[in-house]
Amino acid sequence: MLVDLTEDQRDCYQEITNVAMGQAADRLARLLNVYVILPIPKVNMISASELHMALAGANTSDDVSAVCQGFIGSGIAGEALLVFNDASFADLAQLMKYKGPLDRHGELELLMDVSSVLIGACLHGIGEQLELHFNQGHPVVLGQHCHVDDLVKSGNHQWSQTLAIEIHYEIENLNINCDLLLLFTEDSVAKINQQVDYLLD
Amino acid sequence: MSKESLEFTEMHWLMDVLQNIDVGLVILDREYKIQLWNGFMENHSGLRPDEVHDKPLFDSFPDIPETWFRQKAEPVFELKTRTFTIWEQRPYLFKFKNYRPITGRAPYMYQNSSIIPLESIDGSVKHICLIVYDVTDVAINREDLTKANNNLTYLSKIDGLTELLNTSFWQEEFTREYKRSFRSKSACSLVLFEIDEFDKLNSQRSHQAGDEVLRTVASALKQTARETDITGRISGEQFAILLVDTDAKAAINFAERLRKQIAGTVVTLDETEFQFTISSGVAEFSSTFDSDKKWLSAANKALVHAQKNGSNKTTVYQNKAS
Repeated sequence: MLVDLTEDQRDCYQEITNVAMGQAADRLARLLNVYVILPIPKVNMISASELHMALAGANTSDDVSAVCQGFIGSGIAGEALLVFNDASFADLAQLMKYKGPLDRHGELELLMDVSSVLIGACLHGIGEQLELHFNQGHPVVLGQHCHVDDLVKSGNHQWSQTLAIEIHYEIENLNINCDLLLLFTEDSVAKINQQVDYLLD
Repeated sequence: MSKESLEFTEMHWLMDVLQNIDVGLVILDREYKIQLWNGFMENHSGLRPDEVHDKPLFDSFPDIPETWFRQKAEPVFELKTRTFTIWEQRPYLFKFKNYRPITGRAPYMYQNSSIIPLESIDGSVKHICLIVYDVTDVAINREDLTKANNNLTYLSKIDGLTELLNTSFWQEEFTREYKRSFRSKSACSLVLFEIDEFDKLNSQRSHQAGDEVLRTVASALKQTARETDITGRISGEQFAILLVDTDAKAAINFAERLRKQIAGTVVTLDETEFQFTISSGVAEFSSTFDSDKKWLSAANKALVHAQKNGSNKTTVYQNKAS
């Protein structure tokens, strides 16, 4: 079954994500004491073959590190993927007042700390507006210092088309940028659309 | 059953399940004092709930790095967000000993943990819940896999008999070094050497003798070469060493030192003793080599010259173009 988004639905998703991102950015700002720049999130129905393009488009050819975290609540499930440009870590360590050596392990600590806050806040914000509660699974490190193409194994995806929300975060005056991709399961799309329609009415 | 008593029964069941579930549950207050301690925590720590109740977590478990843990827990209190720790960061939060003598292969239990906010009636977070998962099996399997992969990578690069780089991997490194030499200003030299009369040695003595000779050469080479030098066995009795930051003169010194050391070595096999020699060709990198093959063939020409002029010799390639 192919589900497509109406213009209204797309706008609504963008609005919901905007609010959620704002909340996430606010928490990040409180944690780090910085101003976070937010662009408009991209909301799209993407096919499995486009997943790689979405990822590649999200980041440059630089090496990246990434964390993935599953979420589920009220029959709606998906995964949040946070991709960090490796060049961001030096500034990030400074912001987080991380004292240890900035080796692979130090970067992992930073990655985990920031992803907990960003993913958690964003999901909480979306959930709150749709009157859903998402339970988060345990984060999984997809890779450190790797190419964005190698993060997700291609092919063999058990879905054909699904809802994707892409958010690009930047921090003012600092060389920190990361991308958050929310990908819902195919089965969730109809349900989450229902929730959105309910809001639109 | 009335509605109230059903709710009471359900609550009772739930409590029983939480007490027996194979997951650790700890509730901490704002001062990090332990308020709840379930069966899993009691069983693995050996501490009863009444022994830890209202005691600061860091007093009962000094192994937990306080600053680190606070960094994970403070956002839960302050931002009402969940945070997580995974075994890749720290193998464990609570140092629990391995409790499975047969299938447990790690000294300690590997743990993942979630820290979740518990809201009080006024909406503020005065308590947090720490959920501890045993992920020892996952961690051990992952480490086994990494070890196996590293081993495979090693095997694909190394010549089994001499433990030097094999042909294909040495060639890769050589090509990379050739390209690098074009950009770099420092000298780089290639030494190619062969065991003299190796075929004769193999046929007149034995293949075991041949193998012993190859091993002797490899060990002499490992002693003579620096760690940064790229040493490989590139065919039956032919070896190659890429000496980085080394000009032809220093490379000749190296080759001569190696040649003399080998000529002076006595090989003992089945109570018979014998000696053997090597011949070397040296070629310093020159930008007139328009491919890595040209560089290799220059060293090879020098090697053939050394062999034709009586063996047990070192010859250096003279670049006519320069």
